[in-house]
Amino acid sequence: MITFEGAAKRHPDGTVAVEGLDLDGPAGRITVLVGPSGCGKTTLLRMVNRMVEPTSGRVLLNGEDVASLPAARLRRGIGYVIQQAGLFPHRRVLDNVATVPRLLGQDRRTARARAAELLELVGLPPETARRYPFQLSGGQQQRVGVARALAADPPVLLMDEPFSAVDPVVRAGLQEELLRLQSELNKTVLFVTHDIEEAVRLGDQVVVLREHGRIAQCADPHTLLTAPANNDVAAFLGRDRGLRGLGLRPASTVGLLPTGTELHGWRLAVDANGRPEGWERGGERRPAPVFAPAADSLRSALDAAVLSPAGAAVAVDGTGRATGLATRAAVLAALGPSVEEPAAERPATEPTAGEPAGGR
Amino acid sequence: MDGEPLVRWHWIGDHLGYLRDLALDHAVISLVPVLIALLAAVPLGLLCARLPRLYQPLAAVFNVVYALPAIAVFVVLIPYTGLATRATVMVPLTCYALAVLLPATVDGLRAVPEDVRQAATALGYGPWHRLAAVELPASVPYLVAGVRVAAVSSISLAAVGALVGRGGLGYLFVDGFQRTFPTPIVAGIALVVLLALATDLLLVLARRLLAPWASGGAR
Repeated sequence: MITFEGAAKRHPDGTVAVEGLDLDGPAGRITVLVGPSGCGKTTLLRMVNRMVEPTSGRVLLNGEDVASLPAARLRRGIGYVIQQAGLFPHRRVLDNVATVPRLLGQDRRTARARAAELLELVGLPPETARRYPFQLSGGQQQRVGVARALAADPPVLLMDEPFSAVDPVVRAGLQEELLRLQSELNKTVLFVTHDIEEAVRLGDQVVVLREHGRIAQCADPHTLLTAPANNDVAAFLGRDRGLRGLGLRPASTVGLLPTGTELHGWRLAVDANGRPEGWERGGERRPAPVFAPAADSLRSALDAAVLSPAGAAVAVDGTGRATGLATRAAVLAALGPSVEEPAAERPATEPTAGEPAGGR
Repeated sequence: MDGEPLVRWHWIGDHLGYLRDLALDHAVISLVPVLIALLAAVPLGLLCARLPRLYQPLAAVFNVVYALPAIAVFVVLIPYTGLATRATVMVPLTCYALAVLLPATVDGLRAVPEDVRQAATALGYGPWHRLAAVELPASVPYLVAGVRVAAVSSISLAAVGALVGRGGLGYLFVDGFQRTFPTPIVAGIALVVLLALATDLLLVLARRLLAPWASGGAR
């Protein structure tokens, strides 16, 4: 667990980076610090591994003040991933990943064996090991950066905008990969981003920061999207947050009709294995959008239902076999009887002038 | 030099052993100083990287040294190191090489990207350890580029040493002028250029070996 206790950073010239923050980052969870540039989020992250020393207050790791440990030793026990990956250009990928185990005194062979495991864990092919960083794509470099941070199996991982330098498609892949890794490793992660979309996608707990490290709201992503604390947070969250919130809810609660049901004259055609082939009416056949109740969100289910000519999404199981039909009404019914009560103020419908660039 | 051909090939054929000895001497008096300067520039450069306030005065001193005309320095040194000794030529050449290599080292260390530095710190390198294990190896391409400049200019400067009696191939120029006999001059020029090219080639190969990750890229 990462604990900030009144952690503040004032620069010698009097400017204030962080005014004094109290925050708990629960063990085994991803806590995302999100906010516009200048909100002090990177400063806060760096207080944890003492790359920034707070001018007052303190930071605790599992109850122990980080200032009580020698900085270099503390850092070897904390994974750190940055935007540009920061790989060492003169070392091959394998030796980049083996860095911290070597610093901790492991012999070369053991450290490299461990590094090879990690490359596999982050989804890099074995031949990458012999390459130099400049021979990799940005996304691959970032994976190596993650592998290097995890090499000594640190319980805590700090990530400073790790995915913001890669294109959106690669970013989405890396985010998915991080969630998969986290479900296996259960690290205590502190993740900094300016991208609210990323924050909501990755965070178990999302901390929206304003200038000087003041907390605007600290909540789980669902609460954040459905009940922003004030207009500023709502504006920062951007448009369509209701719909985006559906992306966080499982589609497994949607009630299904039998696959043979006729809807507005459309019938689902399936192949010999029970996989949907399309909607048929008269001689006409149209594609049948599908969703997987076990894996997808309500948003995916609604999307598939909206796109379907029959007005129903086809639910499929892991093998692609159709298991039922979810009408638009059924998807909406799964939302529950009503939306939660809004917070004290009505959220603004238009983004205000001061909206940060985070949304996109 | 009327009627005298530019090159008398038989003279070269008769003096092959002599030319080889001069070339070897030239290589020693010009390149050993570069090596010594390199051995001094790396620790000095690391020190300057850690203590930036040290760098400006040091760089200023070596710049002034670099500005001194070689022939004047040779002459001034004669009372201390002797006429026609290797030391008389090698001491100033070492200073000149250092004037090139110290900035090359410091610039190379500074050219290491900030994210690499930050990552090294975050992974748990102490400041000196980081310099030695990350920044220095990452700046090897810059260092080799500096050595290439220093080596080639040292090879050409060493010839001036002939005026104080120790110039390796430079002696061929003095000899040729005194006898109005162009063959040694032409041979000397060719050999100096050849030595410089061979040295440069070796250094390029050394960089490929030491920094295969910079092939084609940084210089």
